[in-house]
Amino acid sequence: MSSMLALLRKEFKGQWRTHRLLIVAAVFFVFGLGTPLLLKYLHALVPSEGFTGVLPQFTAADSAKGYVDTLGQVGLIAAILVAMGSVAAERESGTAAMILAKPAGSGRFIIAKLAALAVTFGLGIAIGAVGCYAYTVVLFGSPGGFNFLVANLIGWLYLLFCLSVTVMYSCFFKSQLAAGGLALVTLVAIAGTAGLPVLRDYSPGALMALSQTWSSGGDAIAWGPLAVAIALIPATIFIGWQVFRRKEL
Amino acid sequence: MVPVKCQGLSKRYGRIVALDKLDLEVERNTVFGFLGPNGAGKTTTLKVLTGLTRPTSGRAWVAGEEVSPASQTLRGKIGYLPEEPAFYNWMTGREYLAFVASLFGLPSPEAGRRCDELLELVDLSRDASRRIGGYSRGMRQRLGVAQALMNKPSVLFLDEPCSALDPFGRAEVLGTLYRLKEQATTVFMSSHILADVERICDVVAIIDKGKLVVESGVEELRQRFASPIFEIEFEQPATPFVSMVEAMPWVYKVEPDQAATKLRVHARDLARAKAELPGLVVQSGLTLRQYQMVLPTLEDVFMKLLANRAE
Repeated sequence: MSSMLALLRKEFKGQWRTHRLLIVAAVFFVFGLGTPLLLKYLHALVPSEGFTGVLPQFTAADSAKGYVDTLGQVGLIAAILVAMGSVAAERESGTAAMILAKPAGSGRFIIAKLAALAVTFGLGIAIGAVGCYAYTVVLFGSPGGFNFLVANLIGWLYLLFCLSVTVMYSCFFKSQLAAGGLALVTLVAIAGTAGLPVLRDYSPGALMALSQTWSSGGDAIAWGPLAVAIALIPATIFIGWQVFRRKEL
Repeated sequence: MVPVKCQGLSKRYGRIVALDKLDLEVERNTVFGFLGPNGAGKTTTLKVLTGLTRPTSGRAWVAGEEVSPASQTLRGKIGYLPEEPAFYNWMTGREYLAFVASLFGLPSPEAGRRCDELLELVDLSRDASRRIGGYSRGMRQRLGVAQALMNKPSVLFLDEPCSALDPFGRAEVLGTLYRLKEQATTVFMSSHILADVERICDVVAIIDKGKLVVESGVEELRQRFASPIFEIEFEQPATPFVSMVEAMPWVYKVEPDQAATKLRVHARDLARAKAELPGLVVQSGLTLRQYQMVLPTLEDVFMKLLANRAE
């Protein structure tokens, strides 16, 4: 247990000292502030000739939905970029061998990494959401606090799933690029299943659509994608661990 | 309890045989030198013994426990320093040691004391608060030695521990390693710096192409395998003398220096060398500065054994 705490402390400290936490928070914050601002001033930015009547009058729900859209797209890329080297880079550099020659445990080593990434993205989303909410309230009025909170929680769960898939691939390879590339292909394919009949009722790729529904004021609950994502997060980490523990360090 | 034992240990990477049925046994409280040319299988052996790599076949025991990559209790009993220790560059030296202490479950006050002790031991106290990213290669190596000693291991595995150290650093680290015997620690070190091995190791094993060539006490090895050496120094170049000596049937090898004023004559037959070499010196007409018979070094033994295998 003490080694788990030690690994968690090290990972959290690493997220801070290597500026990953700052970068992720800054990315979400910029998009959080940028989305309502962009929608508010889009009419002023776009020349009026030829576009009259094309651009709608945006509302608070549009602002919240726009932010959630960005969360799914930019968040996915950020998750892959930040997590692809989590295990692979440590294996490549030799730091993993130094740690795992001690009673740290490869499973704890991987779980600590996902936990730190989950907190980093959780904080990033929270900061972005606060920025978006505040600017939306100021510029458009309230988008509905509870719905916006649920939309962000669903978005966080989706990104946590993306992180776990990327960490799993990071356990497979020494190359960060291979891990990141495969994670991108897998996650895009999973997102694609959200448009297919039957599969969309269970695919974690449908989570962002659910998040958008909540951000627009809807209150539908799709238990299938939620349950599958929650089940797949530990499953991917377990698979990653099983592969990693057989690797040469 | 045998600190380190290997039985028929083999490791293959595809068609490459890194270890070939290696049998070894290391006694308690010894400093064991593990020698071999590049690619002989030294690092692979250390990785198998520390559980970082699975053997293809064979078994190994360390500190009385069978080695398995999953064994956490074994990892609590050993220390390991890889050839190129890798650290988190964003940590300070002290933070890294504190992190290692927490992995071993050392309680906070004891961990702090142990970190201070080890930083002092490896002469890094003044740089303990600096980021490791700014450390020199030698400092990283010394930090590597410190982290390997954190848990007062019963078996310490070191892969080329002195390769990045200057002569002062080497002397300090070697002294530290030698003193570990008093603390009931068995040291298993691989090295290509044979003078270091000769200085502190009680027993050495030489491997080549994954196979054990010999395992023996250092002194015994010198007696058994190396031919006696005559060191001769002249005031002027002795090139014709070298050719003359090389032609003698009782000579194994002649090694002149670059200026050909100093030579080492390896004798095949000690008695004949003792009787005939002085006569050849006189016959050469050269001015003699020094003439002595010396004990072969471990390097001489190493070169001879591996040359014999190559033949």
